Amino acid sequence: MFLLPKGNPLFENLAVSKLKLPDVLIKLSNGAFTGYANFVFQSSTSILVFEAGKLVSVLFEGENGKREAGFEALSALAELMVSTGSGALNVYKLSKDLTMCIHALLGGEMLYKAQELKLIDIKTLLEKVKEGQMNGCLRIYTDEHSAMIFYKGGNPLGFFHDGASDIETSSTESQKIAGLPGAKIDLFSTQSADELMGTNLLEVTNIQKIWDTCIALHKTEIDKTNFERQERGRKVISQKLAEMEEQVRSIVGEYVGKVGRGIVDKEISDNGGNSCLIDADRTEKFIKGVERAAKLLVSGTNIKLMMEKLSSVISIARSKF
Amino acid sequence: MEKFFELLTQMNPYDLVQVILWGLAGAISFYFSIGNARVWTSISIGFFLIFLSQAYGINPWGHYQKLTAFHYIVGTVAIMIITHGFLEYYVFCRTFEISGNKLVVYLGTIIILLIAGTFLIINPVPSPNTIRNLKMVENAIWVILCIMNLEVVRKIYTAIKGSDIAKGFIAFGIVFICILVWRGSDLYLQIFQWDQDWQDIITLMTEETSDIEEYLGRVEILKEVSRYAGLLSGISVGGTFVYMYKLLK
Repeated sequence: MFLLPKGNPLFENLAVSKLKLPDVLIKLSNGAFTGYANFVFQSSTSILVFEAGKLVSVLFEGENGKREAGFEALSALAELMVSTGSGALNVYKLSKDLTMCIHALLGGEMLYKAQELKLIDIKTLLEKVKEGQMNGCLRIYTDEHSAMIFYKGGNPLGFFHDGASDIETSSTESQKIAGLPGAKIDLFSTQSADELMGTNLLEVTNIQKIWDTCIALHKTEIDKTNFERQERGRKVISQKLAEMEEQVRSIVGEYVGKVGRGIVDKEISDNGGNSCLIDADRTEKFIKGVERAAKLLVSGTNIKLMMEKLSSVISIARSKF
Repeated sequence: MEKFFELLTQMNPYDLVQVILWGLAGAISFYFSIGNARVWTSISIGFFLIFLSQAYGINPWGHYQKLTAFHYIVGTVAIMIITHGFLEYYVFCRTFEISGNKLVVYLGTIIILLIAGTFLIINPVPSPNTIRNLKMVENAIWVILCIMNLEVVRKIYTAIKGSDIAKGFIAFGIVFICILVWRGSDLYLQIFQWDQDWQDIITLMTEETSDIEEYLGRVEILKEVSRYAGLLSGISVGGTFVYMYKLLK
């Protein structure tokens, strides 16, 4: 998104993670704020333009450069505020007229878009702006540079260019860019500041509801992620347990024969499934059960060897959980 | 004691050897039941009871008919308890469930024998014919349950093949084949009334005749088969328990 004049900074670099969008908007609205609030995220930006406490326009530019305005922009902003842990809020107070020009730039009517300067008569265009007593913004840019001229009633309010922090009265930079090869212009117009006062997005949108919905959605997302993580964890544990169970089964089978596998299955089932192999008390019961059954089938010497091997394998495997 | 030694000297050497072998087998199986898991108790107690049933020949009070009858009842109880033991072992092989305790088996056996004793006490003194009937019933039950046990032992062997003890059940199979031949030949003689008891009965008590003279060769063969199979049964039981003890050590 293009740079905007900073005017009088009220807040800069406030951590978004600690803010609630409805609180911010209500605060700015109640304070009859005029200017704009700029939410800056890692790869997204949102600008909210206020005129005497009224939210006149909202613009949201996402990761892929896609822009949204109005209700969609507010929703996207709320969603990002809730879901991201980073981001900063800057609030700049501007004059009523300049705020109107910013609104024109962000949400006004686009009269010219990406017009190559060499193909149009700039002099005639400027006369048209003056004669039409236009309120708006003329943006002159190349691939590397950009400058803006803000108009009120057809007269320039000031000039702003990349690298500056505020508007200037000199047109030198704008003329320089206009002289560069491949320079283009965009022309945005808007209603007068007084007419703009009739618009207040805060009145037509239930920001609290948007925020609450985002919170709820985010919570659902987090719950879903947690659930998936737990499921993955459970899957890993169940896979490890299955491997451990098979290891135990093959040890008992080695000493007791094929019937040994049945003994393991029965003892595992009696002790509440293969999770008994990682629970100290239940493992003891399991081992005793296997030993008791094996005594009917295997010699004392082999039982001793089997039990030693079984205990060692179970304790090694258990340490991996 | 004198009477006991007198009886020993009067006994047929084959019968004496057989009783001694059953005594050894009984002692080994009883010892086996003490040191081993519960499932073995019924089997070993049953084999121990065979010795008691065979010991009537050396019983100084064996001339009391009720006591003679009791020996045959003990023999019947023996095979029933053995069968119960093998069925329990088979159930264990299929379900791996081990339940109950040894004391119940010991007490249960004693109670059954007490009931049998009471049955004999409250009834009239059995005649030689009744005693022969009891002996025949005993042999019939032994034959039927031996056949059944052979099948159970085969199934157990199939289920536990690969374990240390599996071959021990082949030995039990041999035991039941020996017992089947022993008891079967005896039953054969009884069914056709060629047995010694029947010959004694008709000589002393009835005027009935016997066709034994016509089948003397067959009768002699059956008697010899019964005698040697009886001996082999005692040897095989003792040997099997020693083998099992070795396998489980």
